[in-house]
Amino acid sequence: MKHVLYICIAVAACLSSVASAATMEQGNSLYANGEYTQAAEIYAHIIDSAAEQGALTRQMAPVYYNLGNSYFRCQELSQAILAYERCLRLDPRMKDARYNLQFAQTQIIDNIADTRNFFLRTWVTNLRNALSESIWMWMSIGMFSIFLIGAVLFALTRETWLRKTAFYLGLLALVISISAFCNATSLHHRDTLRAEAIITQGIVNAKASPDRSGTELFTMHEGTKVTIRECLGEWCNVQVGNNEGWIKLNCLERI
Amino acid sequence: MKLRQYIFTLALCITHCVFCMADDEVDFRANAPKQVVVGSPFQLTYTINTQARDFRAPEFVDFDHLAGPYTSQSSSTSFVNGHRTSSFTLTYTFTLVGMKEGTFTIGPATIKANGSQHTSNGVRITVLPPDEPVASSQSQQQQRPSSRPQQSYENPDNNVSRENIFIRTVVNKTRVHEQEAILLSYKLYFAGVDVAQFTNNTKLPEFAGFLKQELDQEEIQTELEHYNGRNYQTATLYRTLLYPQHSGDIKIDPAQFEAVLRVQTRAQVRSIFDDFFGSYANVQKMLTAPGVTIHVEELPTGKPSDYNGGVGTFSLNSSISSQEVKTNEAITIRLEIKGSGNMKLLKTPAVDWPEGFEAYDPKVTNKFKTSTSGVSGTKTIEYLAIPRAAGQYAIPPVTLSYFDIQEGKYVRLSSPEYTLNILRGTEDADASTVVQQFNQPTKEDITQFGTDIRYISVVPWQMPVVTKQMVAFGTPLFYMLYVIPLLIAIVLFIVFRKQIRENADINRVRYKKANKIAQKRLKTAKAYLTTGAKEHFYEEIERAARSYLSDRLSIAMADMSKDNIAEILRKKNIDNELISEVDKVLSTAEFARYAPSSDTQMQQIFEQTANLIDKLENQKL
Repeated sequence: MKHVLYICIAVAACLSSVASAATMEQGNSLYANGEYTQAAEIYAHIIDSAAEQGALTRQMAPVYYNLGNSYFRCQELSQAILAYERCLRLDPRMKDARYNLQFAQTQIIDNIADTRNFFLRTWVTNLRNALSESIWMWMSIGMFSIFLIGAVLFALTRETWLRKTAFYLGLLALVISISAFCNATSLHHRDTLRAEAIITQGIVNAKASPDRSGTELFTMHEGTKVTIRECLGEWCNVQVGNNEGWIKLNCLERI
Repeated sequence: MKLRQYIFTLALCITHCVFCMADDEVDFRANAPKQVVVGSPFQLTYTINTQARDFRAPEFVDFDHLAGPYTSQSSSTSFVNGHRTSSFTLTYTFTLVGMKEGTFTIGPATIKANGSQHTSNGVRITVLPPDEPVASSQSQQQQRPSSRPQQSYENPDNNVSRENIFIRTVVNKTRVHEQEAILLSYKLYFAGVDVAQFTNNTKLPEFAGFLKQELDQEEIQTELEHYNGRNYQTATLYRTLLYPQHSGDIKIDPAQFEAVLRVQTRAQVRSIFDDFFGSYANVQKMLTAPGVTIHVEELPTGKPSDYNGGVGTFSLNSSISSQEVKTNEAITIRLEIKGSGNMKLLKTPAVDWPEGFEAYDPKVTNKFKTSTSGVSGTKTIEYLAIPRAAGQYAIPPVTLSYFDIQEGKYVRLSSPEYTLNILRGTEDADASTVVQQFNQPTKEDITQFGTDIRYISVVPWQMPVVTKQMVAFGTPLFYMLYVIPLLIAIVLFIVFRKQIRENADINRVRYKKANKIAQKRLKTAKAYLTTGAKEHFYEEIERAARSYLSDRLSIAMADMSKDNIAEILRKKNIDNELISEVDKVLSTAEFARYAPSSDTQMQQIFEQTANLIDKLENQKL
């Protein structure tokens, strides 16, 4: 009886995976025919069902990418940027998504001037974003092990060249391990806090205080990426470039 | 006899002529007013343009047959410049009356003429209800249908009222999409008054927010129409097609028409004729057609990327002059857009000629017809291009997207993709090959003309299977992956700690510190030199030299014999001069310690030792 049950479950799983593969192809053919709205619906449906199963892994990145393209074609810029960002969260090495995200970002209205961002800081952030959290994590663990091997070799051998090699290699591995650990920690925080968000409303005025009557500080447009600093009820304090202000939570969507 | 024959010939001629004329075309048709009122008689006539017999009328099911058929004939012959034209008509007239409201059809009648049976057209007659009893007695007269407006013999002041004459603004739709045609007409309704004419003093609204397409003005014809319980004569004064250019509620302002009415006057001077004919005066009256608001819906979202404003129903046809030509020979692509809608606003789609084609401005020919249902017709576009380079080229399909109002969605039409095979033309073949032998072909960089997003990912994709990640960041297992190797390393260190200590490079430390220690010793020696403590001085000198050598050469103090030192130094490729100097310093220091010596000697040996250490420091040992 139990075996029958297992077989049933297995068959059901196979069927469901076949069905979703079909819908992905369905979406692609709709996109090819220029029916972008319907294609976007199908991609969004696939993502929803994957999210229900908790299967939002790197393999889902192409779906987000296609969703982003469909939204872009429907002129829904903020949704497209959101989809590309989510795609890159899952697979930072997807070059097409990076290219399209950059292309979509050229279409948004806001030009963010951030003078705080020293070029080295930008460089470090870009480096961090270039790989995913788990890759950084395994890199850190691997490099730490290499460092330990180096240390042991250095202590146990008499051969000068081996000692020298082990010493410098171990030192390098330790440095890489520590920076990889830092990157993994930083990404982990980013993904758990979900502090980054995209403005989805056409025009948003940021206010000095979390209420309707607050002084208006600056205006943001659809598609701009902001960092949420804190939330208070339906208001949240966001930072964009050098500016910060309070906007309503429903004007934005977290990545 | 001869005369009889002559007459017979003449008669034959005449009949022949009659038949000649009749041969032209037999026209047999029925005529009746389109609208009649219940209870009022009207005439139905059947007319044929030749002699005929055996007329069979259809059955009048829905009408009362009052009288008829009355037959009447008329013929006319005229000579113009010696050319004879003649006409003949035979008419059958019935007087009928409508019994009940509705639209009825009277079937065709048949007749025999020229030896064959002819059938007339059927007629459709709309029977309108009679005026409601509220209407005054004048309506009694109005029920008499007529193709001409009725004259009224009533009090003129009462007649020229809003009920008797007014203009309605008639639009066929009030809720439309952007660019969807609306037919707007100003319709005059009158009953019991006589409209003589309209003056030029007509004020039409601006039609702001619309594109206006005027219809060809037909001859004004009156029709009978039942409106608000009364039968009116109606005439369409003005008709136009309107294409809304933006969404929202668009208001059309009222229009004004000035009519000249013939009204009966109570003449002051009475004559016998006045009494008989009545006297009339022309009265000018301003008639206002009410304004109307059109609710224009925006076109739905999801416009295709190549959409350029077409609304209606279109079809696309394309043809190409030739798919295989030689270079420098022209190619023409003909695009034919057929359909109805806002044809005039339709933009010319562009043909994307590949590089190497010299394209010319397309030639557009419009053949449009404006009717009450909108503008329809054909737009023919001819694209001309001349290929300048040989090769295989594909011309991408030309697409035309439009909004289909009937289906309520966007439709994309597409021409086929043409593959062109361009052969090298003969006339330039010789010239170009000759030139190419001497000239390198000009290099062209790949240039990007446009930017766009990249295409979607089309790699086969499968729903990921849910797998629990074994190690996640921040979990205890994750930290264990650091701790376990670290523990292993520590264990290894503890196990092999003796060997580690042995390995610790003492010799290297001694080597590095040798000079420092030697300099320290020399400093103390210098102090002894000034105080004159001879024994201590030599002792320090010797120790400085010996410990320096011992550290630098990694020899234990016990093995520090002079021979031993010399041998090691020789192994390390040190000059013999320097070796002998080392030997000299060591033996002097050893010997002078217990032998008397002067201050100068002491000074000398001090300098010698310092010198030696400096020299050895520069040597690679």
